[in-house]
Amino acid sequence: MADQSIAGPSGMNRLARGGEDGDRAARARLAIVLLAVMLGAAMLFSLTSGASDASAWAVLRDWVSGAAADNSATDMRTRVIIQDIRLPRVVMGVLVGASLAVSGAVMQGLFRNPLADPGLIGVSAGASLGAVLIIVLGGTMLVPFTQVLGTFSLPIAAFFGGLVTTMVLYKVATRQGRTSVATMLLAGIALAALAGAITGILIFVADDRQLRDLTFWQLGSLAGATWLKIGAVAPIMVVAMAATPFLARGLNALALGEATATHLGIPIQQLKYVAIVSVAAAVGSSVAVSGGIGFVGIVVPHLLRLAMGPDNRYLLPASALLGASLLLLADAVARTIVAPAELPIGIVTAVAGAPFFLWILLRKRGVIDL
Amino acid sequence: MIEAQDVSVHIGTKRIVHGVDLDARPGELVVIVGPNGSGKTTLLKALCGELAYQGRIMLNGRDLARLKPVEAAGLRAVLPQATSLSFPFTVHEIVKMGLTGGRSGVAAQEAQHLPERALARVDLEGFAGRFYQELSGGEQQRVQLARVLCQVWMPVLDGQARYLFLDEPVSSLDIRHQLIIMDIARDFARNGGGVVAILHDLNLAAMYADRIHVMHRGRLDTAGAPQDVLSDSMIERVFGCRLRVGAVPAGNAPFVLPQSAV
Repeated sequence: MADQSIAGPSGMNRLARGGEDGDRAARARLAIVLLAVMLGAAMLFSLTSGASDASAWAVLRDWVSGAAADNSATDMRTRVIIQDIRLPRVVMGVLVGASLAVSGAVMQGLFRNPLADPGLIGVSAGASLGAVLIIVLGGTMLVPFTQVLGTFSLPIAAFFGGLVTTMVLYKVATRQGRTSVATMLLAGIALAALAGAITGILIFVADDRQLRDLTFWQLGSLAGATWLKIGAVAPIMVVAMAATPFLARGLNALALGEATATHLGIPIQQLKYVAIVSVAAAVGSSVAVSGGIGFVGIVVPHLLRLAMGPDNRYLLPASALLGASLLLLADAVARTIVAPAELPIGIVTAVAGAPFFLWILLRKRGVIDL
Repeated sequence: MIEAQDVSVHIGTKRIVHGVDLDARPGELVVIVGPNGSGKTTLLKALCGELAYQGRIMLNGRDLARLKPVEAAGLRAVLPQATSLSFPFTVHEIVKMGLTGGRSGVAAQEAQHLPERALARVDLEGFAGRFYQELSGGEQQRVQLARVLCQVWMPVLDGQARYLFLDEPVSSLDIRHQLIIMDIARDFARNGGGVVAILHDLNLAAMYADRIHVMHRGRLDTAGAPQDVLSDSMIERVFGCRLRVGAVPAGNAPFVLPQSAV
């Protein structure tokens, strides 16, 4: 008993037990309600805090009372700060945080491994490459593409960058229905390096204005949030996330292996296809608007599995809520810790997420079959 | 009824199963025996649609290759040799996954309690709240059987017989649980379902099988009732052991004692 293969007794004791009957559904539902309340609080907090003294409460009062712009008590400047600067940033934070966390949870289910994360295995790097291609070559070589797609060209290029990377990863790492995690991580490193090298070439040929835009991708930030950008990516993210509840039962069954999932009646090829496209869409659009924000996709689902178990029917919505809350929190830190300057949010998530990731590795050495 | 005709299976370029015919009727417990590497598991995987095959496999008169996963899941459940798990599910959560396809055959209200009943049948009462990964190999195997039983709880549904495919269901069990599990399989067949099981224990096969199929080097060597199939010559030809098959005095169930090796 000294060394059980899986997590060991001490590790298991820290996990949420469902009581005698092993049913953790009630606990999970409660957690989702609490997380929704927490997200509401985080949104309100983000909306009311910032470098400017503009009062969000006055604007909120106007919304609630339905006062028209011309006869309201709040001045124009306050309204602009709240409605056109802070609010889009909050909405973007919610969309990106939820997308990254849900994508992480879906990938972990798909690869049957708690360490799969879009940032770690090169999906984000592929999506960045797509975005950088548009930034640097959008005005020259890729004009036909950008002319047709307009403001959507950046998110769509990021989406395809993420999609191609995910599909290559899956093909390389899967032999006869078994996905090798070691191969997946190593292939992810190779793909990320390749995408990074091509990005490097593009940086080399970029001009000054493009360089400034490019720096943004490497660190990640919500500072550029506008309603226009939200309009371009929100439909993609919302559709991708709306697909994931249909994956939940399939991903649960997949925890028993591909063959058993099929025997339980899950159309496995279809499941993989929808999962890969959703992840690529959600991660691609996140990267397109906020650059590379790491570790949300791995930390959030992991914390939730400890609290309420791995059932994807609850894990996926809870990941969306907690991912959104944590990203708003990280953004609040990024905005205030070096105020009036601003830290890229990717630095905040990495500083908090990387040690957490190492802790998972140490704690669960037995589980992760490398 | 399951009818397999001239089934061959390749893994990579190697042919593992050569032109096997097998049938399993409702009400019948069919056992596949054979030495290690004789193609038993590969054949079973083809029968449950997990591996691509040449030839024809019919399930209740329908072509297996054309059944959607959800349709096949309503007709048969499969117990693999061993199942590893990637996330810390509880026993209850695992067994409940058997209800994924929604064709257990009991009313929705009753289905809620099915995991408990299935666990009781495999002698794991009170295990629902435990973590699967904490259990011993034999306990894990019985949890998986409980999940499989939930999937096809009623052996006959809408006039259609349903099937259990069991790959070495008792390989890591103590003798008491071997008997409990084999009794469950026999009851499933007595109630109108069909069972195809791979067993290594020839005595259990002799005790429980209505018919035995013997696999040898990827081919079907013999098929028939235990007393016809289990003979000195078959044991020597297929398993390469020279020993004498005995018979219990009371009946004609043959037994194979390793101590009788000559």
